[in-house]
Amino acid sequence: MERRGRIIAVFLIMGLAFALVVLRLFYLQVYERAKLAARGEHQYEQVVVLEPKRGTIFDRMGRELAVSLDVDSVYGVPSKIDNPRELAQRLARILRENPRKLEQKLEGDKQFVWISRKVDPTKAARVRELDSEDIRLRTEARRFYPKKALAGPLLGFTGIDNHGLEGLEHAYDGMLSGVNGWVLAEKDARGRMVFPGGPGFQFRMPKPGNDVILTIDEVIQHIAEKELDAALATSHAKGGVCIVMNPQTGEVLALSVRANGHGREAFNPNEPQRYKPAEWRNRAVTDAFEPGSIFKPVLAAAALEERVVHPLERFDCSAGRIQLADRVIKDAEEHGVLTFTDVIAESSNVGTIKVALRLGKERFYKYITAFGFGRKTGVDLPGEIPGILRDVRTWSGVSLGEVAIGQEIGVTPMQMAAVYSAFANNGVLMKPFIVSEIVNRSGGKGQKIMPLPVGQVITAETTAKVNKILQRVVETGTGQKAKPSGYTAAGKTGTAQKIDHQTRRFSKKEYVSSFVGFVPASAPKLVIVVMVDTPEGDIYGGSVAAPVFKAVAEQSLAYLQVPPDDVGGRMLLVTR
Amino acid sequence: MTAKVGNIGSFVFERSKRGNLRRLFMTLLIIVGLLLYVGGKVKIMRLGYQIEALERQKRELERENGSLRIEASSLTSPARIEELAIKRLGMIRPAEDHIVIVKRKAAPKQ
Repeated sequence: MERRGRIIAVFLIMGLAFALVVLRLFYLQVYERAKLAARGEHQYEQVVVLEPKRGTIFDRMGRELAVSLDVDSVYGVPSKIDNPRELAQRLARILRENPRKLEQKLEGDKQFVWISRKVDPTKAARVRELDSEDIRLRTEARRFYPKKALAGPLLGFTGIDNHGLEGLEHAYDGMLSGVNGWVLAEKDARGRMVFPGGPGFQFRMPKPGNDVILTIDEVIQHIAEKELDAALATSHAKGGVCIVMNPQTGEVLALSVRANGHGREAFNPNEPQRYKPAEWRNRAVTDAFEPGSIFKPVLAAAALEERVVHPLERFDCSAGRIQLADRVIKDAEEHGVLTFTDVIAESSNVGTIKVALRLGKERFYKYITAFGFGRKTGVDLPGEIPGILRDVRTWSGVSLGEVAIGQEIGVTPMQMAAVYSAFANNGVLMKPFIVSEIVNRSGGKGQKIMPLPVGQVITAETTAKVNKILQRVVETGTGQKAKPSGYTAAGKTGTAQKIDHQTRRFSKKEYVSSFVGFVPASAPKLVIVVMVDTPEGDIYGGSVAAPVFKAVAEQSLAYLQVPPDDVGGRMLLVTR
Repeated sequence: MTAKVGNIGSFVFERSKRGNLRRLFMTLLIIVGLLLYVGGKVKIMRLGYQIEALERQKRELERENGSLRIEASSLTSPARIEELAIKRLGMIRPAEDHIVIVKRKAAPKQ
């Protein structure tokens, strides 16, 4: 019996132990199951975020202007680091950063801290050579602008997280950035990533951003920038704008903006941190300036359309001054009796104001608004302003005359480009645009942007008269230096006093010199706006801005293979 | 191997011998199945590593390709080409008298 009792006792103890094991098993497998399974998955599974590739920005010929490329970023795991000071010093030598700041980052018990993002490949290779468990690398996309400063303020730039902050990068961020993807990866015992594959493999591929094709032509852009820079250097100007536009479609072929004065290198979007915000601002749409005499053709168009004047009607401008309410407006130089054509060609304020008074403010205002002044052009660039146009009901006794000669009104260079495009396009105003196509790379539908007419502002007949006047400006008037060799041209010079912000009166020292026109005058292919802000010495649009127009026109027309239409005796006629 | 009718003992023996064989066969089948399963899993893991390595290689090549494209793009920038043409190759812009415009005259009708 004793033996039997012992056997029973052993069985009981074993049974009890077994029951305990079963209970524990039940507790872990059933009661705590959800929590433990999640913890287990967390240990061997990892969600890896897949960044989409940001779309490329191309010029109209498919040349890359902004491209994304994968580069390495350095991060650390401070909680595992034993000697942050030593590690910081080694990293500081490689990354050329302040060792104290790095040490501060590497102290503490965080699991993750960025050390340096988007580093050069050579630096990344040296960090990799450290072979440290606590300092690791991770790839991230970085934006590159291979043409450097070319079209810098137009393209804008992206931030460290690849979102557009300025320019087209900002305006088209939604199109360019794409959608993040992810993959559920497994880690093995050594922490290496394994993509399991097969059924149950969970992932979502990132959706790449769309490519954006611009109306800009890289070569014409370069010509515009180079010639504007040369003019800014010789005139010691504060800045300038040059726009080249296709008048028939409203496509912007070049948009060059220099807002950082002569002597300072142009804004390079690869290193935006080196520049002040004023240097990347796209002044072609964000700033209004008083146009001065380049506005006179708007009056001419309105007066000719309303038939209040004939191009050959004569005006006595010999007094050189005209009284308007309490103000006297003078001509810059003496004139005698001028035809209306020569009033514009010689840029006589007195003659222009006489015609404006005849037209009346209501009718003039109607054409000003029809040409789009006081309203945004709708060009696809961020930060566009409508300019400054006071309602005609608030005009004073001098306003009609002042506006006729381009004062008391603020316009953007883009508005001037659009209006002269209408002169070159039989009176039809086109909406300016920069992006011509959006290409979807993930199989979706892209988008083509078509030219959009805003409206017929003046008849083709009136346009022809205005064009003759504008040709006269270049042939015999104030704009002779704008005449491109081999081509006819039409346009208008402007020299406007800037407002002195301290005295709130017209400055006697600061001017905006400009020239706006189109080539070839017989069959316009290009409208070119040149604006030079605060030149020193010779301040007249005819001597500062007109030569830029000539240079840009000659080189661009040759590049576009437009046959010369004004070659005189240099033409060789052949028969075949 | 076949059961002899009438001999109970031998029948029992034959049956149990057949049962053992069947059990052995089943065990072997399970072991082979398990081995195949584990082998398959190991192979999937190994291929997973290979895929990961190839993916990394692909990424590296793509990155190299991208940086070469950017380099090519910056080397063909008009500013650089113009500078090379003028400074290194001594090229000049054609002057007005260097150009003769040739225009075709309408051929006389015959």
